[in-house]
Amino acid sequence: MLPSSLDEAVAALAAMPSAVPVAGGTDLMAAVNSGLLRPAALVGLGRISEIRGWQYADGAALLGAGLTHARMGRPDFAALIPALAAAARSAGPPQIRNAGTLGGNIASAAPTGDALPVLAALEAGVILAGPDGDRELPISHLLTGMDPMRPGELLAFVRIPLLHAPQTFLKSTGRTGPGRAVASVALVVDPARRQVRCSVGAVAPVPLRPLEAEQWVAGLIDWDGERTLADEACTAFGEYVAAACIPDQPGVELPPAAVQLRRTVAALSRRALGRALA
Amino acid sequence: MSIIDGTGAGPETLAGSGAPHGLGTSVPSTEALAKTQGTYPYAADLWAEGLLWAAVLRSPHPHARITRIDTTEAAAMPGVRAVVTHEDVPGDAMHGRRVADRPVFAGDLVRHHGEPIAAVAADHPDTARLAAAAILVEYEVLEPVTDPEKAFAAEPLHPDGNLIRHIPLRFGDPDAVGEVVVEGLYRVGRQDPAPIGAEAGLAVPRPDGGVELYVASTDPHADRDLAAACFGLESDRVKVVVTGVPGAMGDREDSGIQLPLGLLALRTGCPVKFVATREESFLGHAHRHPTLLRYRHHADAEGRLVKVEAQILLDAGAYADSSSDALAAAVAFAAGPYVVPHVFVEGWAVRTNNPPSGHVRGEGALQVCTAYEGQMDKLAAKLGLEPAEVRMRNVLATGDMLPTGQTVTCPAPVGELLKAVRDADLPPLPDGEDESQWLLPGGLSGAGEPGAVRRGVGYALGMVHVLGAEGTDEVSTATVRVHDGRATVICAAVETGQGFTTLARQIVQDVLGVDEVRVLPSDTDQPPAGPAARGRHTWVSGGAVERAAKMVRTQLLQPLAAKFGMSVELLTIADGKITSYDGVLSTTVAETLDGKELWATAQCRPHPTDRLDENGQGDAFVGLTFCAVRAVVDVDIELGSVRVVELAVAQDVGRILNPRQLAARIEAGVTQGVGMALMEDLRAPRGVVKRPSLTGYPMPTALDAPDVRIVKLVEERDVVAPFGAKAVSAVPVVTSPAAVAAAVRAATGRPVTRLPIRPQAAVVKPRT
Repeated sequence: MLPSSLDEAVAALAAMPSAVPVAGGTDLMAAVNSGLLRPAALVGLGRISEIRGWQYADGAALLGAGLTHARMGRPDFAALIPALAAAARSAGPPQIRNAGTLGGNIASAAPTGDALPVLAALEAGVILAGPDGDRELPISHLLTGMDPMRPGELLAFVRIPLLHAPQTFLKSTGRTGPGRAVASVALVVDPARRQVRCSVGAVAPVPLRPLEAEQWVAGLIDWDGERTLADEACTAFGEYVAAACIPDQPGVELPPAAVQLRRTVAALSRRALGRALA
Repeated sequence: MSIIDGTGAGPETLAGSGAPHGLGTSVPSTEALAKTQGTYPYAADLWAEGLLWAAVLRSPHPHARITRIDTTEAAAMPGVRAVVTHEDVPGDAMHGRRVADRPVFAGDLVRHHGEPIAAVAADHPDTARLAAAAILVEYEVLEPVTDPEKAFAAEPLHPDGNLIRHIPLRFGDPDAVGEVVVEGLYRVGRQDPAPIGAEAGLAVPRPDGGVELYVASTDPHADRDLAAACFGLESDRVKVVVTGVPGAMGDREDSGIQLPLGLLALRTGCPVKFVATREESFLGHAHRHPTLLRYRHHADAEGRLVKVEAQILLDAGAYADSSSDALAAAVAFAAGPYVVPHVFVEGWAVRTNNPPSGHVRGEGALQVCTAYEGQMDKLAAKLGLEPAEVRMRNVLATGDMLPTGQTVTCPAPVGELLKAVRDADLPPLPDGEDESQWLLPGGLSGAGEPGAVRRGVGYALGMVHVLGAEGTDEVSTATVRVHDGRATVICAAVETGQGFTTLARQIVQDVLGVDEVRVLPSDTDQPPAGPAARGRHTWVSGGAVERAAKMVRTQLLQPLAAKFGMSVELLTIADGKITSYDGVLSTTVAETLDGKELWATAQCRPHPTDRLDENGQGDAFVGLTFCAVRAVVDVDIELGSVRVVELAVAQDVGRILNPRQLAARIEAGVTQGVGMALMEDLRAPRGVVKRPSLTGYPMPTALDAPDVRIVKLVEERDVVAPFGAKAVSAVPVVTSPAAVAAAVRAATGRPVTRLPIRPQAAVVKPRT
């Protein structure tokens, strides 16, 4: 099935609830080809032009779920949401970025999904189109399974507040070329709400938000002044984030791999904060 | 005067004739265009009318007793045409490259994760896969032996025992001691050959009760004999036809593919095709031996080596395969290309329930290179010498003796190679222009921070042997035919991408002066040429082609020479024209042939070698080749991420036969070495392979491949080798991982004793 509008797609899914929507297919078709998944039918979303671009609504950007990573990586988009553009640019080789979409990244919900920590740090909302109309929920509710997608629903848009403030995305992989994240950190500065929001990807099934560390560091920043921090404060923030994301096990020494992961998260968080405030 | 010398002067003598031609020029490969356009056919592209599809059931356990196999349900599925297990193997139950110790299908005992248990042929690949999954196998799961150190004392995993081979090497005085002693423990991980193309094959039954196997074999005759023995057929009733080989760093194909295919084709009387998934490929084929190495180096106060003691333990996996060869190389080259008066090595290859190990370029030599070069760095640090200097004081040269008692008779310009990489200019540091454009460790959009990046420079010297060692009968046969002014080469040497067909064309162009030379595809109806490994084909098959071409040349010129009363040596052939030394006679090849066809077949067999004796002594190698690599790396010392900036290579090549192809082989080898150094390690905790996919097993991408600078190619001809040329592919693979490790050591000050280098080994902890 190849619907050409969101309504048609929702109708197609309603008519055949066992059908699986497919956008870029970079995760889904790999699973189908290797025999892990045998969907009864596929609903192709590639012809729905309304979800392949973006628009503005009340100080936010409404991104179509069909936006490709390649599109998000371009300079015009990077001027709008720099951290998401950075994440999109780091996601796989060009072939994958040309096909893979924002919505697919959310729907696959892989722990290493590069866009996910950015969306979590931006406190994005997802808009689901369904047979009973649209509904919007926070990305974290969807990813954690607190409020999962219902049968017949389709991920249509992602609402992202436009902050006009520094934001960064840093990712550590096993090689110089594109690779799966060992750990990634997205950090946004929100001067309007006087917040620093940070999200760590790939270390847990869903992106983690070290809320206490965020509040602590937001309290150190002189929001009306220079908005800079001493190196020591950035370092302490990194340690704080890392300890929150990879907690100590009472009575057990951390295995060497966890120590290295914690060190990586600390370095990434420190660098992310340093760059955002530079 | 020989023709080879006449044109060996290089491209300039041929500048007028346009396209590259003959030895010493960059004749392009005939397959290059088709491969680039994606039209070159590989085994996975084969098709036959009415073919069936095969699927193989593999063990999910690394070690288990099989108590029951029930195929009734699978066999009854619609579309399933045959199911075969160990009970359906008509011939020899066991097979193997060196030792017949591996069953076609596991019968009562599973010895590694992914071992084949049964195979199905069905009219659709999905049906075959579902039927394979429907075969009921009851296992009694056993404790796997996965630590090679524990294999000695463990219950035997195989009737042949757990010790596959032990080589003690004793050379010199065991009581010799040096003023300076350094010790080290090194580990090398499991590199997968990860050929780019899928492993696949097609088996077609023959009317005479035999079978034809269309596979990307690199050793068709050995594969034929092995298959025939398992099928219970005479070897002339099995034919292996070599298809396009999509990359071969070791043996292709996994016998777990061709044997089930042949059995199913014989059983059903239909052509049967199989295409392995990447997961099966990772489970089935042979990997580089994971190795544990303990070393103690003694040196005098000036840094000259006195004694090297080493213990080398190779994890062979469940079956012997070519582990014995890998061990021989590891033990013989344990001290590296250095002069050491006293060497004592104990080497073992042991059986475990880990994934199988076997022939992968530079096996044995790579692992010890990592260790002895680690030791040389340690020695340099302890003596306060430059790492390059301590190496320079010990380099091997022609006329020196290896610890195996063999005198190095071939060119061994080790010092010259080291000097070339040491004196080459270092790559510039990125200038301060635009920090965002620096390619830092971690990549373009990565997390690298210039302030945390340290640069390091490291050196390594490596060596490997050319051709099979220890008495292997290295022989190849080739036929050359000339007709209508064209030449055809028939040789079963497999073109694996190493460039043999191009080389064969160049040789015939040189000897016979004809431009158009075709090299026919290989199959086992042709005389054997042996495996495409250890640089054999440049030597033995190239040598056989040259001899056959020279015989044809004599046949062609003899009547002419007789007619004009001069000897054959006074005639030359170039551009299809025959001319005499004085220019009086001038005719064309086509005219002289006058419609006749000329054929000649010749063999090339280098001098025999000895097996290493009970003290590890013997003239085991036909030839040796050497390489020096200088690595420059950038390390993010907080994240432990490493980027190899540049590898400068100086190599001993004997003679350059095709400059472009030679450079490509070195670049490819170095890149494989970078993979070994930084990321490639197939993890198998408790014997179960983790993440057998190309996402889970990262390999170098274009961004990870460093700038490869070939700073010097030493052309000192090896007089016993045809053309004086040495094999070039393996030694850069062997040497570059050790160079990268040395550079990371220099950048971080950390010991770096394990390959691949894990991030935690390259992190510099902040001083607190």
